[in-house]
Amino acid sequence: MTTVVPAVEQAVPRLSASYLSRSAQFLAILVQFALIVVAIDRWQLEGQLLVRLMWLALAGFVMHHFLPRRFRLPFFAMLSLLAVITGVGHLGPNVGGAWLTGKITTSGLLYYLVPGLAVIGIGLGLIGICHLPIRFGARVGLVAVAGAGLAFLRAHSQWFPDVTEMWVVLGSMFMFRLLVYLYDLRHQTAPFSLSRAISYFFLLPNVCFPLFPVVDYKTFCSTYYNEDWPRVYQTGLKWMFRGIFQLLLYRTVYEYAPLDVSKLTSALDAAGFMLGMFLLYLRVSGTFHLIVGLLHMFGFNLPETHHRYYLATSFTDFWRRINIYWKDFVMKLFFYPTHFKLRKMGTFWAMSVATIVTFLATWLLHSWQWFWIRGKPLFDWKDFSFWMILAVLVLVTAIYETTRGRRRALTPSRFTVRARLMFGLQASVVFCGMCILWAYWSCQSWAEFQSLMDAACKPTWREIAIIFVVLALVCLCGMLWGQSSRETSEGRGTQASGAPFHFWRSTVAVTVGSICLLAGPSMATWTLPATKDLIARLHGDVLNARDLALQRRGYYEELDLSRMDDWRCHDAKEPEGWNAGRKLFYRERSDFLMKEIVPSVSTVLGGAPVTSNRLGMRDREYQKLKPPNTYRIVLFGVSHDVGTGVKDDQTYENLVEDRLNRHCPDTHYARYEILNMSTGADCVLQMLLRLEQIGFDLHPDAAMISVGAVDQQFLVEYLRKCLTRGIDPPRSYRKFLDGIAKEAGVNGRMPDAAIERRLFRHVPEIHEWAFRRFAQQCTQRGIHPLVIYRPAPMDFGGVEPACRSETVRLARAAGLEVIDLSPAFDSVADRNRLIVAKWDEHTSALGHRLLADKLYEGLVPLLFPASSIQQVSRLQKP
Amino acid sequence: MNSEDIKSTIKTFILTEYLPGEDPAALTDTTPLMTTGILDSIAVLKVVTFLENQFGIVIQPHEAVVENLNTLSDIERFIVSKKA
Repeated sequence: MTTVVPAVEQAVPRLSASYLSRSAQFLAILVQFALIVVAIDRWQLEGQLLVRLMWLALAGFVMHHFLPRRFRLPFFAMLSLLAVITGVGHLGPNVGGAWLTGKITTSGLLYYLVPGLAVIGIGLGLIGICHLPIRFGARVGLVAVAGAGLAFLRAHSQWFPDVTEMWVVLGSMFMFRLLVYLYDLRHQTAPFSLSRAISYFFLLPNVCFPLFPVVDYKTFCSTYYNEDWPRVYQTGLKWMFRGIFQLLLYRTVYEYAPLDVSKLTSALDAAGFMLGMFLLYLRVSGTFHLIVGLLHMFGFNLPETHHRYYLATSFTDFWRRINIYWKDFVMKLFFYPTHFKLRKMGTFWAMSVATIVTFLATWLLHSWQWFWIRGKPLFDWKDFSFWMILAVLVLVTAIYETTRGRRRALTPSRFTVRARLMFGLQASVVFCGMCILWAYWSCQSWAEFQSLMDAACKPTWREIAIIFVVLALVCLCGMLWGQSSRETSEGRGTQASGAPFHFWRSTVAVTVGSICLLAGPSMATWTLPATKDLIARLHGDVLNARDLALQRRGYYEELDLSRMDDWRCHDAKEPEGWNAGRKLFYRERSDFLMKEIVPSVSTVLGGAPVTSNRLGMRDREYQKLKPPNTYRIVLFGVSHDVGTGVKDDQTYENLVEDRLNRHCPDTHYARYEILNMSTGADCVLQMLLRLEQIGFDLHPDAAMISVGAVDQQFLVEYLRKCLTRGIDPPRSYRKFLDGIAKEAGVNGRMPDAAIERRLFRHVPEIHEWAFRRFAQQCTQRGIHPLVIYRPAPMDFGGVEPACRSETVRLARAAGLEVIDLSPAFDSVADRNRLIVAKWDEHTSALGHRLLADKLYEGLVPLLFPASSIQQVSRLQKP
Repeated sequence: MNSEDIKSTIKTFILTEYLPGEDPAALTDTTPLMTTGILDSIAVLKVVTFLENQFGIVIQPHEAVVENLNTLSDIERFIVSKKA
């Protein structure tokens, strides 16, 4: 028997079920969004500004969603303006709170508002010019004049010190999008209104990302809620999660890939460098995913960015995939107009000229972008040649595809295993080619690239096998996922492309993934304590050792503003007179010692007064002849041991000496002296020679060599200088060092980078030899030899542990006693306190005190064991 | 030439040039061409030249876009509007 239910009664449960389902979907979206924001916060991705913006976006998203449709775009425009004001002016809740509680005045608050308001004012002015009721050509002319004027002011941003930071954001918002906007305005391809214009130019995430996808205005308008909201939002969440994942992957590559050409010692290292450089682009693709995903949360169903670009099957395919926004932008403004104008010449010539014009425009626009972000134009032969090489590769592939045809199919199932194998092989070839080309683009000079090729040119069979396995993996991935059906960012519609969409499946994936990102680190360190260091390094967004040491990276890396603070710190100009005394304090020598401290000089080094004694040491005055009943130690080290940046009585060496004299650990001696023979940038060979030529004449009882992570670099630089300047080593060193030079295949006519790179692999061998000689020379004279491992105040990139263990191992292998000072700084959470200033990384006074404590603790038991036993026994007495 | 003839002409061109061996029935009036990569930016230029020669129209660069060329129906509608 069937029951007839009235239509109204049937509709009510259907409606309530639909309402419940939509509510559940919204709740799921909200939870995922919150998890993603917390993950960004927890991992400190892209700095504090992004974290603040994400919280603002989360709150804005909820309000935006519940607003009636007609109010949503104006709301988004207002939210974007708020983000600009707070973001550019660094106006956080702390400033607002301080103003509310009267800690800062209203005029003080306005000071924070000015940069953001300036961006908005100038931006609205530019938009206004675009809509002036005059001829279109005149409007374009006015925009060009205004742009030139702003560029002039950007170049002289020092004239407006209060709004310096606004230029980057202003440039990022208008430098390209204004061109697209004018183009679409000219052809009236989309609707125009104030809220659309504000939303388009002041896009919410833009304030955090100077490198921003060139969103097409027409696409921006046409994709606004062009699909059901759960689908749009969920796609955004998926892409944001993907972005976070890529950014973490980027950090791993950045921290662990061999990115320093001078340290490459094998073909495998060279391959790792090339791969690492190419993978660094993950930062751009990760941020673009975050940006586009975030815009989805406000209904902008924009196309997917960076679609599996590492699996491109041809160079044209790579050009299409890597940044489809850019590709569409230059196609629209340069390629099609040029091609349409020239097509009477024939397809081949029209395509060739249009491609070259497009890539020339790409090069110039990248320089334009550089100018707005960094404040200086970039016209570099390397960038030019990179874009031209890519242009030729794309053109050749495009012509091949035009004449021979590209494999197309209506359904993916049409691709056979053979076709997929071809995809895979093509993907590995393109991947390999792009790795080399990217490495070329990222190298700082031709010599550096030569050095890279030099390292790569003699691979062993094992190395070839490893590289082949990696390429086979790329091939396999290419077979599985290499085929791409995407071509344009315009008019994206997943319904149109027929792709199925599974809301709850995607929800589960994003939720589980986000929870893993949040709980993973704790779980990993709990189960595998060894991962603690890895996770700690992935949490911080700092420059690695190479970049800090060399201050150089690739195009996109150097445009990374979120780490500009680090750069500013590193680039921060030291105050006038900070190192005024360097030339007075040190003088060059023509022999193997190369330099020495000038005796009896008082000057300023590292912002602190520094005095040298009559014997040419940064130390107190001592008699050359050791006084009776005196225990004398000579110390050899570098500028940290000299005590650059601290006062004479604050050096760790003087602190230890004072303490020894206070406590008198050995009753045989009435006085203790530590003679600091350290010299800035000395390597272990110079220290050894200084001991042999000068130190032994001072009749020491003990000799200490202080070595740190930086010594490796000093050593190769020093040997390179000796080679290029033709300085001969002392006779007793010559045989060994000539052998090293011969084995490394270096001579004084080679490029500096090549000499250093080749010598780098011999550093352990030189250290070992130097330590053995140090032990032998001291033992012969009855002197107690010691090696100190001195930690750097800041362990950039985490190179310290490896250097420490290697140095300690080699010293011990040479029969030397080692005092490891590494734990000295463990108690200091804020490592900035350990450096002299943000522009000077020498050890601070606090650092010297901590080093002194640790050194005294290690020194007394080794030099005066009897005293230690006495102390222990005294302690054991009731 | 009516709408069906226009679509048929274009369909034959696309099948011959870009989808040899494909089942003609699988290419419908609403099959997306640009958004699925069947017509890439270079192929679009060839299609534009073909349309200009075949139907005696002049296409501007800003008209070679997905709204006009994504499906057979879009192309047919575009040609009709241009001829009008």
